[in-house]
Amino acid sequence: MPMKEAVQRYVIDGDFLFIGGYICRTPFAAVHEIIRQKKRDLTITRSNAADDFDMMIGAGVVKRFIGTFLSLGLYGLGRCYRRSIEKEIPHKIELEEYTNLSLPMMLMAGSMGMPFVPVKDMAGSDLLNVKSFMGEDKYKVIDSPFDGSPTVLVPALNPDVAIIHVQQADEMGNAQIWGIGGDCKVGANAAKKVIVSCERIVSREVIGKDPSRTIVPDFKVAAVVEEPFGAHPGYTPGFYDVDFSFGSLYQQASNTVEGFEEFLNEWVFDVEDRTAYVGHYIERFGYPTFKNLEAAFDFGYPVSYAY
Amino acid sequence: MHTHPDDYIKPELMACCGAREITDGNIVIVGTGFPTMSANIAKYTNAPNATLMQESGVYDARPVRPALSVGDPCLNPGAAMIGGLVDVMGMFLQSGWVDVGFLSGSQVDKFGNINTTVIGDYEKPTSRLPGSGGANPIGSLAKKILIIALHDKRRLSERVDFITTPGYIDGPGSREKRGLPAGTGPGVIITNKAVLRFDDDTKEAYLATYHPDSSVDEVVSLTPWDLKVSDDVHETEPPREEELRVVREILDPFGMIKIYEGRGYV
Repeated sequence: MPMKEAVQRYVIDGDFLFIGGYICRTPFAAVHEIIRQKKRDLTITRSNAADDFDMMIGAGVVKRFIGTFLSLGLYGLGRCYRRSIEKEIPHKIELEEYTNLSLPMMLMAGSMGMPFVPVKDMAGSDLLNVKSFMGEDKYKVIDSPFDGSPTVLVPALNPDVAIIHVQQADEMGNAQIWGIGGDCKVGANAAKKVIVSCERIVSREVIGKDPSRTIVPDFKVAAVVEEPFGAHPGYTPGFYDVDFSFGSLYQQASNTVEGFEEFLNEWVFDVEDRTAYVGHYIERFGYPTFKNLEAAFDFGYPVSYAY
Repeated sequence: MHTHPDDYIKPELMACCGAREITDGNIVIVGTGFPTMSANIAKYTNAPNATLMQESGVYDARPVRPALSVGDPCLNPGAAMIGGLVDVMGMFLQSGWVDVGFLSGSQVDKFGNINTTVIGDYEKPTSRLPGSGGANPIGSLAKKILIIALHDKRRLSERVDFITTPGYIDGPGSREKRGLPAGTGPGVIITNKAVLRFDDDTKEAYLATYHPDSSVDEVVSLTPWDLKVSDDVHETEPPREEELRVVREILDPFGMIKIYEGRGYV
């Protein structure tokens, strides 16, 4: 299914979205489509957010963010994020803050149908002194019913939709990854439905050659979208590298509201889909630059599941 | 005796200071850039059996260039294990396996509390910073925390604006009272001017060594609290020839560490 249709059908204004990625396999094609369709009032979550979350916040599609961190990494603080929090441009998002332990654990709890989960972090920090839209439900501190020690409990999260980018999936949605996982597996499995964006659609037979790599089973998946180069400017192991130059371009552009809007026009609104995006990239930077991002091949030994 | 070439840059010295804090066999969780460099120097010098992990899900990576983030593509090929956040932060860190955590802070106070959330008021900040990410759980749960910070009266403070990551919080007994595991907490603050350590009784950071281009007076004057000075305060040992060789020939042949010189280190 094309990304346009997947986002039209499965992302509703006001939805709670988990969007996977960790520079590694960021579902950027989906993020751009959400912005292009001008979705409203979304709640978004993931541990360690980066340029994609910054862009959605700048584009005004986000109402609430359940997060742990947002930066442009090498390129410093998220410009749109700062403008939203510090200057209410385009509006101030509501922010509920956790950590890279507690948030993945909350998604894990959600993925397993657990109501909440104890975590050993956040104690003694000001993260327990700030509460936003989750109010008193952000966390609870109890005396452990087992040994009486003070214990922080955080609630399970169950997003309406998870969007992940993976290396390969079959047409039914069995999705396989390799490389840095972030909170992709727990985030996807915590959601009520999943949109799988992938570098390539493969047959069910190919999936079955190495089933241990599957992180989401087909019965949870609402849509499968084949989007080669779909994580750019992030990377996909075995397919293409991080595009550091593009990261710098985004940093420079997002320094000002005008620059950010021009960036959105050029890379989101004026391109119809990911194919047009790739075409524009090649036109703008040349084919050698595009080709240069392509990963080298260094296959592992094939595994055997035979018995 | 070690030879100490004098052509090093400050980030190299700071990275070496970090490396020397790692003991052989340590399990170390590292953030981007600096901490990774430090921990890898240790692997090639004083701690060959130390192993590193990144919160993103990587254990024992074998990168061929310095990783620019904890999600860097160079961390994937060659690692011993790759999972996700729940694996590293849950199965390894929260369950108590990690010996050393390596953090940098936009603002650090005398009890080693770290702020990476906001400068100013939380609701109306003058500067919105990235947030905790992995810092809070690493600072809460690793046995020994190494902190990298810039040494001036803005970056160091009597009390941070926001405790993103707890150090010794309000002083002795604070961590235990809040339910943080016994035997954890900050061990050292490495700045561009000095190495500060924590007093066992007061849990306050004191001056242990000052860097070769600095002095006790300068460090004291740049520190916004009444900095105690160790009885055996002395100059920080400059980078050893062997440490520099590891940085320049093995870990960072393209000299990417120089990017930290312009903006301090973080």
